[in-house]
Amino acid sequence: MSHTIGLACIIDDDSMYVNLVKKIIEAKKLCKNLMIFQNGMEALNYFEAILNNLDKKSIPEIIFLDLNMPIMDGWEFLENFTKIENKINKVITLYIVSSSINPVDIEKAKQMNSVKDYLIKPVTIEDLEAIFLGEVL
Amino acid sequence: MLQNELFNNVIRDFNAGHWELHVDPSREIWSEKFYTFLGFDEKEIKPDIDYFLEHLIHKEDVEVFRDNFLNYRRNQVNFKQHIKILTKEGNYKLFRCATNDELPVNIKSEIYLIFFFEIKLEPEQDISKDNFYYKETAQMTATGSWYVDFHKRKSYWDFETRRILEYEDDYMPSLKDSANYYSEDCRQQAADLFFNCAMAGTPFNTEIKMVTANKRIFWVRAIGKPVYNENKEIIGIRGVFQDIDDIKTKELKLQKSIDIIASQNSRLFNFAHIVSHNLRSHTSNLSLLVQLIEDIDDPTEKIALIKEITQISSSLNTTIEHLNEIVAIHTNKDQERRSVKFQDALSLVTSGIGQMIAVSKTSIDVDFSQLKEIDYIPAYLESILLNLITNAIKYKHKERDPVIEIKTYEKGKSKYLKITDNGRGIDMKLFKDKVFGMYKTFHYNEDAVGIGLFLTKNQVESLNGNIAIESEVDKGTTFLIEF
Repeated sequence: MSHTIGLACIIDDDSMYVNLVKKIIEAKKLCKNLMIFQNGMEALNYFEAILNNLDKKSIPEIIFLDLNMPIMDGWEFLENFTKIENKINKVITLYIVSSSINPVDIEKAKQMNSVKDYLIKPVTIEDLEAIFLGEVL
Repeated sequence: MLQNELFNNVIRDFNAGHWELHVDPSREIWSEKFYTFLGFDEKEIKPDIDYFLEHLIHKEDVEVFRDNFLNYRRNQVNFKQHIKILTKEGNYKLFRCATNDELPVNIKSEIYLIFFFEIKLEPEQDISKDNFYYKETAQMTATGSWYVDFHKRKSYWDFETRRILEYEDDYMPSLKDSANYYSEDCRQQAADLFFNCAMAGTPFNTEIKMVTANKRIFWVRAIGKPVYNENKEIIGIRGVFQDIDDIKTKELKLQKSIDIIASQNSRLFNFAHIVSHNLRSHTSNLSLLVQLIEDIDDPTEKIALIKEITQISSSLNTTIEHLNEIVAIHTNKDQERRSVKFQDALSLVTSGIGQMIAVSKTSIDVDFSQLKEIDYIPAYLESILLNLITNAIKYKHKERDPVIEIKTYEKGKSKYLKITDNGRGIDMKLFKDKVFGMYKTFHYNEDAVGIGLFLTKNQVESLNGNIAIESEVDKGTTFLIEF
């Protein structure tokens, strides 16, 4: 299990989706630890807080970001996250995972450097496996 | 070259004389044909406007032609006019003058030209008959003419101007009170147009609202241009008013329908988006769940997962109920409006949530004295009040009991309902565009669903109203509904 991802992060307000992904990750042993934030604001607060106390173990290697969320949506999170991203001395791979099939959203996501890929819900178990294992290669 | 050749052909086919205008008057040219029409030789007279006005053109036509000519030379205002010009033989010939807009659309001329088409009169045709036709035309097109004389400080109206403005035939227009001929909201516009025309010689052609003697407001097309004297100074403004109330009213109605259609279309688009997004999030969970069930071998875990289906199915139901509510708004809007007393609607609402109001120690200050009732769909008014009141209570300030002020009033032609609370407020900088969106919540409350304001907005708008919000964090929120 030496190639398993240490910490992954899900930012999504849909608790059913989060639970299911969590179950898949546990069942497939895709990563050791999982952080969950219900909206962009919660996640951003976390990242801003750890900037002062950078401990590599507390920085996720992968982020799965939903777009449509209350309080702070995915776009706003991204906007703020890109400002602090380079202060974090660790490569974070960010995927947008959204049920939006709006081409405007997809195109906008592709334009952003911080976004590795845009996944349309429903994601499949294969998708998740490929991402987690692919990361290590 | 080709363009030039085309142009020359057109000029030849016109069978007209022409006058080339230039910024430098000494460079102006009369065409050979024009000289031939008048019987003069190029060497005998120079193409000079002053000479033309003084010696060649008939006295009756001098003033109008001078204005047209100068307006065309200075401001490129095209014109058409009939004029009589003295020939070398001592007779007057009748010409129809026209300018560049007479050219076919595919021909563009860099130079400003006036064309002179000779009109051959039959012996019995008398030029003075024109007057009759003018009058006839004015009446048929509801176009009145007017003139403002700066030196005499007077304005003059013809019979048709008096008729469309509903004044008696012997009414003398007043220059001093001329603003009163325009509707109040158009007076500044009228003043600006006349001022610019008088000072800078800028002609105008615009649509404006005027007021008749009987205080009826109607739309006219107002066209005006400066009048020049021999010294090329502006001495007055001449123009026409055409009654276009019918057309303009239709245009405005049409514009209103377009606006309604556009807003309905955007709501429909929004709705399609919501449907797609909200249903998709459940179906994709379902699909993920099914994958997981198939993937897992342990039977007890499988059974646990199957139970999750209940959860998804109930969320799906809730979403579909919400969507139904929205669709219902659009189908219900044709429901009959009837007179509803605000107090009655409020009493129904407060008795329904009496428990909530009592527990939260909410006080509601009501002032319906200025506007007691309204023609509305009763269920909507109740729903609007219910949503805004429960919101005020749900999002009350932690340090104080909720106080809700509800007030109705009339302002201008509109009726308003204003609901102010002293709750925790919404950060408008962050949420300005989202307040009325579906499934948008702005607080960390567990029971925030994000459907109330979305429904309220849809209800208000489906009956052609408006809802606006003002809010400040820690101070409170005000909703203003214009019915």
